Amino acid sequence: MMLPTCPICPIVAAGSIPLLHNALIVGAILFALGLVGILTRRNLIVMFLSAELMLQGISVSLVAWSRYHGDWGGHVLVIFVLTVAACEAAVALVFVLQAFARTGRLDAAAWQSLRDESLSRTVDRELPASDATPASWPRLSPAGVLPAGGGEDNQQREHI
Amino acid sequence: MIAAVLPPLSPGVLLAAAVASAAASLWLLLPRGTENVAARWLGMLLGAAALAGFIATGRRLGGLGEEAVFLTVSLVAVISGAATIVTRSPVYAAIWFAMALTGVAGVLLVLGAQFLGVATIVVYAGAILVMFLFVLMLAQPSGLAPYDRVSSEPLLSAVAGAVLLGLLTLTIGRLSAEPAACCAVPSRTAAVAGEPIASKPSATDPTIADDPLGNDQIARLGAELFGRHLLAVEVAGLLLLVALIGAVAVVSRGEAALEADRGLLSERARG
Repeated sequence: MMLPTCPICPIVAAGSIPLLHNALIVGAILFALGLVGILTRRNLIVMFLSAELMLQGISVSLVAWSRYHGDWGGHVLVIFVLTVAACEAAVALVFVLQAFARTGRLDAAAWQSLRDESLSRTVDRELPASDATPASWPRLSPAGVLPAGGGEDNQQREHI
Repeated sequence: MIAAVLPPLSPGVLLAAAVASAAASLWLLLPRGTENVAARWLGMLLGAAALAGFIATGRRLGGLGEEAVFLTVSLVAVISGAATIVTRSPVYAAIWFAMALTGVAGVLLVLGAQFLGVATIVVYAGAILVMFLFVLMLAQPSGLAPYDRVSSEPLLSAVAGAVLLGLLTLTIGRLSAEPAACCAVPSRTAAVAGEPIASKPSATDPTIADDPLGNDQIARLGAELFGRHLLAVEVAGLLLLVALIGAVAVVSRGEAALEADRGLLSERARG
C-alpha cells in the first residue's frame, strides 16, 4: 500500500547545509569521546563500549552526508557498520571472557607483560577506601513476610 | 544562539575556549583514584561551558522547532556519551551507553533515516548491549575494582581528544562554509531525473516533495541494498557466519587450554 505522505517526516529539507554541519559536529563529538574512553579507561568492557561510541559517531556522520546528497550510500554503509559491530562484539566478548578466566580481572594492565620492552611497567598505587557507598538506602515500610535466612543473605551488596 | 548574546567573541577564540574547557572537564571527570565532589561539579560546569561553545559554533537550522528537536536529541546523545566514559561502574557505563544510543537514534530520525534509527535501537540496545551486560554480570567482581577507579594517562588523552575535536570542528566549519555559493552538489536522484532538487514541483508539503529519501523509504533502501550492494550483503552474511564459528571455536579451545594449564599447575604443585 502506498502511503500518500511519510508518517515520520524528516523535519529539515534535504540538501540543507546547516543540518549537515550540525550533524557532523555531533558525530565528531561522539567520536572524540569514544577516543578518549578507549585511550584512558582500563576496564576491557568499557574500552569496547567506547569503541562502539566511536562507531555511533561515524554512523551519524555517514547518515548526515547521505541526507545532504540525497543518496543511499551512507545508509547502506551504516547497515554494514551495524553488521560488523555485531560480529566484533561477539568475537571480542569471547576474548574478554577468556582473559577474565585466566587473570580474574577485566583489567587491560593485567596483560602488560605483552608490552614493548622500552615501556615502563604500570604500577597500581594504593587507593583510599571507596566512598561510592550510598549514604543511606531508601526506607520502605515493612510489608509481607520477613525472608528466612537472615544474617549475611539479607545484606545488600555495596554497589554494582 | 549564544553568539548573539556575546558578540565580541570571535569564532576562533570561542572554539579555543570550548576545546580547552572540554579537555579540562574530561580530565576532572575521568576516574583518577581520588573522589572529589568539588572537582566533579567543576568538571560538569566546564563540560556545560564546552557544550555551550560547541552549540554556539553550530548553524541555525531554520525554525525554532527544528532547532529544539535537534538540540534535544543531540544533547542526550553527547551527554550520555560523556557519562559512558566517565562513570566508575561498568554496569552504569553500559546503561549510559544505551541512553546515548537513544539520542543517536533520535539524531538519525531527524536526519530522515527512519529505518536506521529503529535498527540502532533494536540491534544495538536490544542485542549488542545486552550481550555486554551478560558478560559484565559473568565477569564483574562485586564492588568497584581498582582498575575502574584509576585511568591510565587521563590528562594526555583528554587533551588529545579535545584537540582532535577542535580540528574536526574547524574542518567541518570550513567545509560547510564554502560550497554554499559556488557549487551545490546535485543529488543522484535529481541528476538521474535531469533536474535539480529545488525546481521540483511541490505538491502539498514542500518538505516532503523535495525529499528524495522521504517516501517509501524502507522499500527503496531495500531495493538499493539488494540491488547495487548485493555482493556486499553476501559478504556480510559470510562475515557473520565466520564470526559465529570463530566465537564458538575460541570458547571451546580456550576452555581446553585453561584446563590443561590448571592440570599443569597442580602437577607442579604436587611434584
